[in-house]
Amino acid sequence: MNQIIDISLLRLAGGYLLLIFPLAIMLYLRVGMLRETAVAVLRMTVQLLFVGLYLQVVFKLNNAFLNLAWVAAMILVADLSILKGCRLKLKRFLLPMFIALLVGTALPVIAFAGPILRLPGWLDAQYIIPLAGMILGNCLRADIIGLNNFYQSIHKNEKAYHQSLAYGAALTEAVNPFFRDALRSALAPTIASMATIGLVSLPGMMTGVILAGADPFTAIKYQIAIMIAIFSGTAITVFLAIRLTVANSFNAYGILHSDILRDH
Amino acid sequence: MNVSDSEIAVQLNKLNIVFDGQQVLKDLSLSVSHGDKVTLTGPSGSGKSTVLRCILGLVLPDSGTITILGETVTRHNIWQKRHHIAYVAQEPDLGAGSVKEVIESPFTYRANSRLRGNLDRLPAIMGRFNLSQKLLDKQITRLSGGEKQRIALVIAILLDRAIVLLDEASSALDTKNKQAVAEYLKQADNTTVLSVAHDSEWLGFATRVVDMKEINQM
Repeated sequence: MNQIIDISLLRLAGGYLLLIFPLAIMLYLRVGMLRETAVAVLRMTVQLLFVGLYLQVVFKLNNAFLNLAWVAAMILVADLSILKGCRLKLKRFLLPMFIALLVGTALPVIAFAGPILRLPGWLDAQYIIPLAGMILGNCLRADIIGLNNFYQSIHKNEKAYHQSLAYGAALTEAVNPFFRDALRSALAPTIASMATIGLVSLPGMMTGVILAGADPFTAIKYQIAIMIAIFSGTAITVFLAIRLTVANSFNAYGILHSDILRDH
Repeated sequence: MNVSDSEIAVQLNKLNIVFDGQQVLKDLSLSVSHGDKVTLTGPSGSGKSTVLRCILGLVLPDSGTITILGETVTRHNIWQKRHHIAYVAQEPDLGAGSVKEVIESPFTYRANSRLRGNLDRLPAIMGRFNLSQKLLDKQITRLSGGEKQRIALVIAILLDRAIVLLDEASSALDTKNKQAVAEYLKQADNTTVLSVAHDSEWLGFATRVVDMKEINQM
């Protein structure tokens, strides 16, 4: 197996020249996203360099507690970015969301690292950080879709929701149709990507394993396992995210608190 | 107090509600006796619908109390109180699905599970309200306003509640159907009906007509 070829910093800098094309297109069509693009490219560079340097230290020390602390920090950042990125005011949801992300990430990572890969040191930085990162990234996206869909749709369909309360529904019975829809829309992207994977795109993890010099078939086995882990993680996290936030979102009469929605 | 002992089905005592800095209800008091058919009238915006929504706990008064079947409504007993009430909203939104699914859905709630047998009366009540059985397979969203209103009324009747709240529930019905609904409710001696309406055909069915001006101290 061949070793992965490192990119020298100078040649990586040369890679930025590829940005000429999108920038030229944006200028030509006066899209006006130049500032956002510049900020995004800069942020990506700084964040990744910072994480790269930090991870080098984490990898070198390779201390189980430090690795777990790093994963906890990633979950906290994901939590905060959901609260910020959602069209909802979810300030009161910091803790329930943390639990939803933690369980949604931890369960599949443990399954993946334990019975599936049978890693001797699954808390090794080399495994736990990238695995948790991939699953967490997907959990984050799914939670944003699921939560937005759930609360916005109850707000939009307030009359139908109130009608079910008036028919004698308990809170769980009244929110269930919205829960179902939210879960459906949060899982749909992962289901669609499972259905087209390999045909439309070679996913990141597989590309990484192949680039690192592994046999493509090994890469595919990793990919299958990670897709299943991601799918389970997203289902678990969205289920918990809605289930755990419902208690805080409705008053004792079953009416949605209006301060949850940003436009209110 | 036992339900059957209670003379008063619904009692509203000095309700005050302010929405966005605007007073909607001011010291509103009203009592509806068991079996009464009371109709609230008044111009739009006078708070008639708000009164009904208050009784259901969908809108919370800033002050005042609501008593249903002898017990003051609290955050703890509202869920149980709703099991004694049926509500037909103005332009009812019954969710999605076929008419059959929509009608059956409230009977899947635990609180209504003992009422499932009432669905046997569905064909008879639909017939009485001039609704064809063929409608059952249609999507609820494809029904006309009048058909939807009558389906909502059918559900309300099948739920066998002691108190029925109707918010302009006959507004999209023609004279024939309006009369069919009014006659049905009129002969239901044990059912207390509090409705909101404008038209004279509906007012004729009421045992008591209350003008919002008389009870809302605005």
